[in-house]
Amino acid sequence: MTAPILSTENVVFADLIRYPDIEIQAEKTTFVSGDSGTGKSTLLRLFNNIHAASSGIVRYRGANVLEYDPVALRREALLAGQSVFLFDLPIRDNFREFYAYRDLAPPAEGDIRRHLDLCHADFPLDADCATLSGGERQRVFLALALSFAPAVLMLDEPTSALDHDTASALFANLTGFAKERGMTIVAVTHNPPLAEAYADFTVTLPNGKTEAAE
Amino acid sequence: MNDIADMTIWRFALSYLLLLAVLAVMKKCRIDRTRLLVVASARMTVQLVIAGLALTYIFRHPHPLFTILYLLAMTAFAIHRVLSRCPGVNRRFKIAIALSLAAAGLGTVFFFVGAAVGASPLNPRYMIPLSGMIMGNAMTGVTLGMKSFHESVEAGREKIAALLDLGVEPDRILLPFANSALETAILPTLNSMLGMGIVALPGMMTGQILSGTLPTTAILYQISILIAISAVVCLATFSSLHFGYKTLYNNRKQITGM
Repeated sequence: MTAPILSTENVVFADLIRYPDIEIQAEKTTFVSGDSGTGKSTLLRLFNNIHAASSGIVRYRGANVLEYDPVALRREALLAGQSVFLFDLPIRDNFREFYAYRDLAPPAEGDIRRHLDLCHADFPLDADCATLSGGERQRVFLALALSFAPAVLMLDEPTSALDHDTASALFANLTGFAKERGMTIVAVTHNPPLAEAYADFTVTLPNGKTEAAE
Repeated sequence: MNDIADMTIWRFALSYLLLLAVLAVMKKCRIDRTRLLVVASARMTVQLVIAGLALTYIFRHPHPLFTILYLLAMTAFAIHRVLSRCPGVNRRFKIAIALSLAAAGLGTVFFFVGAAVGASPLNPRYMIPLSGMIMGNAMTGVTLGMKSFHESVEAGREKIAALLDLGVEPDRILLPFANSALETAILPTLNSMLGMGIVALPGMMTGQILSGTLPTTAILYQISILIAISAVVCLATFSSLHFGYKTLYNNRKQITGM
């Protein structure tokens, strides 16, 4: 077994959530599940150091995440969070805005189209994101995250607003694309059939918080 | 200077009759604020009487120490007022606000009184009223800017989280919030300049004219104080927000909130 790309060792968050030691394999798709309140979303934000562990070590490519420049780390292990945010602008301008925030030149129309299609978001580029439905916005947001071509793509409930067939088709595309590019996927989801079909590994976070320090 | 009609105490008391008109309207429209009206007018009277007596004393015995003490007390009061209106702001942000208000406020006051008016910065007759106007406006501006910044950051939580997740520098995320709050804070001052002198004569000019100053001299004071006010509002708010927003994230680029 190769060295994991992301791992945790004795990690505790805010003295509230004690994580089992977790290893995420590079270039594979890992699903993270667990009841609500077990710290799934928090785990993703510990990986990219948006949250700090109160104790224990989080590693990326074998080194403590604290040794990385945090913003550079977030660009490599990119998170498409649970709450979808898009500007009230056409899809094309949303890409332009987000790329400007990342100090990148706006992507070519062909690139935007390709990533939208990968995410089953076959909407015209001048469709106003303010008028899209929740599920449509989710797919546009996903396409945007994917277009940054991160080494690790972390997804938090990426299919929560999608019906099963769309979700399944989306994951078929995503995992295919990831294999092709050597991209690692970590997805938090409540969807066992989806996990069964597309996960190389699954991590289930245990219930029960840390028993008050004994 | 002394040709203003001296108000006798009896004539002065007549002005309180106008309060009865307010009271009558409030009764008629069932606005249950009688108590507030009474308390507010009483407090206003007492506070101004004390201020009048204190200023009379200070002007008769002008001592630099009085002026300095007054400036310090006023600055401290302005800082306290602003901070009490932005609860939930972290300690370093509060320090940024306090230093910004003090530096921009006192800097503008000394420049205005010393250079523009050309009076000694320790002369209470110029220093006290002018610094009050400048500090008071700085206080209002910073309060407005902070309120706007706080509200837009609260409303923009999702945007901030999404951009942070996508690997954007916190500075890049938060700076636009600070800039638009600054705009909100300076707009009222700029807009007030537009109608100046058309609808009503501004307070300082009115006061000078009443006390016998030539209107041509009064407008020079009025124009320059308005410029000083817009400068102090802009500088104090800019400095508060621009040093302040950087306290919202740590060296691990984690946004820790207000």
